Amino acid sequence: MDSVCLYFQVHQPNRLQPYDFFRIGENAFYEDDKLNGEVLRKVARKCYLPATELLLRAIEESKGKFKCSFSLSGVFLEQCEHHAPEVIEAFQRLVGTGNVEILGETYYHSLASSYSPDEFARQVELHRLKVKELFGVEPRVFRNTELIYSNAVAAQVERAGFQGVLAEGIDEFLRGEETGQVFRPPGLKSVKVLLRNSELSDDLGFRFSDKNWTGYPLRPATFVRKIRGKKEGVATIFLDFETIGEHHWADTGIFDFYDGFIKRACAVDLKFVTPSKIIEDSESCPIYDCYKDTSWADQERDLSAWKGNVMQQEAFSKVARLEQRILAINDLDLLHSWGKLQTSDHFYYMATKQGSDQEVHDYFSPYPSPYDAYIFFMNAMADLAIRVQRLEESRK
Amino acid sequence: MSAGCRTWQGRCIEEANPKQFFRCSFLLKSNVLSMEKLKVLKLGWEFPPLINGGLGIACYGLSKALSELVDLTVIVPQAPAAGSGQNFELQGLNNMTPADLSTSKSYSFSEFAQVAQIPIALDPYFSDESESSTTVITEESVATAVEKSIREKLELFRSGDLYGEDVGAKVIEFAKICARIALQTDFDIVHAHDWMTYLAGVEVKKVTGKPLVVHLHASQYDRAGADARGWIFELEKFGMQEADRVIPVSYYTGNIVTDHYGIDSSKVRPIHNGAEMVESFSTKKKFPEKLVLFLGRLTAQKGPEFFLEIAAKVLEKNPDVRFVMAGTGEKLKPLIESGAFKGLGDHFHFTGFLNKEKVNEVLSMTDVYCMPSVSEPFGLSALEAAQFGIPAVISRQSGVAEVLKGALVADFWDVDLMAKHISDLISDDELCARIVKQAEQDITQATWEAAASRVVDVYRELV
Repeated sequence: MDSVCLYFQVHQPNRLQPYDFFRIGENAFYEDDKLNGEVLRKVARKCYLPATELLLRAIEESKGKFKCSFSLSGVFLEQCEHHAPEVIEAFQRLVGTGNVEILGETYYHSLASSYSPDEFARQVELHRLKVKELFGVEPRVFRNTELIYSNAVAAQVERAGFQGVLAEGIDEFLRGEETGQVFRPPGLKSVKVLLRNSELSDDLGFRFSDKNWTGYPLRPATFVRKIRGKKEGVATIFLDFETIGEHHWADTGIFDFYDGFIKRACAVDLKFVTPSKIIEDSESCPIYDCYKDTSWADQERDLSAWKGNVMQQEAFSKVARLEQRILAINDLDLLHSWGKLQTSDHFYYMATKQGSDQEVHDYFSPYPSPYDAYIFFMNAMADLAIRVQRLEESRK
Repeated sequence: MSAGCRTWQGRCIEEANPKQFFRCSFLLKSNVLSMEKLKVLKLGWEFPPLINGGLGIACYGLSKALSELVDLTVIVPQAPAAGSGQNFELQGLNNMTPADLSTSKSYSFSEFAQVAQIPIALDPYFSDESESSTTVITEESVATAVEKSIREKLELFRSGDLYGEDVGAKVIEFAKICARIALQTDFDIVHAHDWMTYLAGVEVKKVTGKPLVVHLHASQYDRAGADARGWIFELEKFGMQEADRVIPVSYYTGNIVTDHYGIDSSKVRPIHNGAEMVESFSTKKKFPEKLVLFLGRLTAQKGPEFFLEIAAKVLEKNPDVRFVMAGTGEKLKPLIESGAFKGLGDHFHFTGFLNKEKVNEVLSMTDVYCMPSVSEPFGLSALEAAQFGIPAVISRQSGVAEVLKGALVADFWDVDLMAKHISDLISDDELCARIVKQAEQDITQATWEAAASRVVDVYRELV
């Protein structure tokens, strides 16, 4: 492989309060603002600020050879505006270099693509406006929440006007092809698909600090050699930005690794490219026929991280069911409350899986158990439904 | 007999005064207050502040009221260090020293030769005791056990859970120590509450020759079902067989005593529990819907699954209702999951465990109380709800249905009728008012003083 496409997802959810039965009908603010602010400031200190600074320096030192891309969820940007505006400035400096591409996504980091194309389109537009407002750019490539993808998602992305979309490379649909090339979904006119190289991505995202991993410790030169040793195409490394400094703490050497990796890659002429550039340069593209829902989450790499059990399924159906009534009321506060309850993390916390996947779910969850996550969420939903009813009655 | 009339031993109890069950000999002695005060040794297990369920509350309520009528000593495994400040003497084994138990009278523990095996790990809420390993009590091990220093025995009660895995050992040590205490105490009658104290009651009777009354607050039939057999069932049966009188907390439970445990009905005297009056208040709900409450341990006996089904039935027809399931237990997670499966989550709320203050808060906004217990010896919570002016829908398999004569009743499994009752109550204010009014009358009768006076009547049959 002769080029690297580095993409980072940046997101923080609005974690809910332990919203018990006694708050229903009385407390219309569901989020734990204090906790959310604390987490954001902590991650800003450990990751967002030092990591953006590292990348900014890399762009300068490489004389513009280093490029990468980000997507920043709308709820994350909002939290930064409230709790850590310096983080937005840091990203603005990066985008200002012209070497960093911002991708589109749903404002609320939601699974709207799986239950309402209209709501999906609304959230994508909200996010586009937010990115335009803060960074002055128009996203041209899309990445759906947690890389959720299927042919149906591709159609929605094309309709929203994007040139390309990121997805997880699933063997079943790759049919022997490699992820390093640009694909196209069946039956659509223009939209292209970039598939994640899970091996290279997980080397950095998951395994980097794992002392039991045979590749530990990973050295920049080894990683560059590994990329160059692979077949033609682009090394599509897609991962959470928080892996730098937060999931892998600074003392694991993660910052030094990125610094060394970028320097080494530039030295051996391994090119850094952005998603829209790859898509622009692509010619004939093989078809990636992904007729099932896929994602980058859990072993299953499907929607089971958010929709795998009855609690999650009910929570989703109750959120989705309110759509028409809430749109009819057209109250901005209410719409925003509803939007924030669609954030995927609420459902992620309700998972009742086993083994190492569940450990990851539990690690991120602010609640004692998935059952608490469900109860607090459903209570908040009940309150939202009461607000909807009250507004409907007041407008009669 | 009218359809609504409840029966016990073939008689309609609604018309009957419970005293009619007593033998004629008792009627001659009915003027109890003019007689010399009886001395009663009461054996309890839970006692406030250490309470797990209704047993502790009932023992306390009854003891307080009894202490006005008799000289009362209460022995429990654990009590607060200081005296209870009550009119009766409360002795906790946790506060005793070996010196307190020295007795000149010779004593050897003989009774539990009848108990062949003690499960090492016991859980009263599971019918299957077979999984827990058992230790066989041989004569030799009995001898060794008896020789264990009293200090060691007392140590057992200084810490740990009253219903921990070592409950079997605690029951036996409790019996031995109670027998020693009995030998140095002057009393006329011994009164034991529930299976944990039955062995002690029988032991005290054997060593002192005093008559034994056993009180049945809840049986293994209620907790673990009709098929439950094992050490606890055997202890209950043995205790009731050896007793001179059995006091079940309701006629419903009386039937279980005679029919399920095969106890001679001539010595069974059902007496309803009382209820402490609570300061009731009402809170304005913060939501427009009516509120239906389930309050209790989330265990099979309380029928929480039926409540979920009832809620689904009611919500099918009337979505403007909220259901609250307050409490916790081993069924919590599966109940949450079935609620989600039925799609009830936005109208069916789980609160988890609630402290007394929160219980009162939820009661203060409740419109209908529902108690679909599979088998409920009494059901104090329905009386507490009644004190808050809440109409109740309760299962026919509940003792409290005999006290709350106006409550709407259905078999626990008859979720259609239960749902209809609830729907009727939330739509018919007149019906509600009528039931609440009847309940107000009923609860003025349901006092611990009334219960205590009946208990003394039972004592007088024996002394």
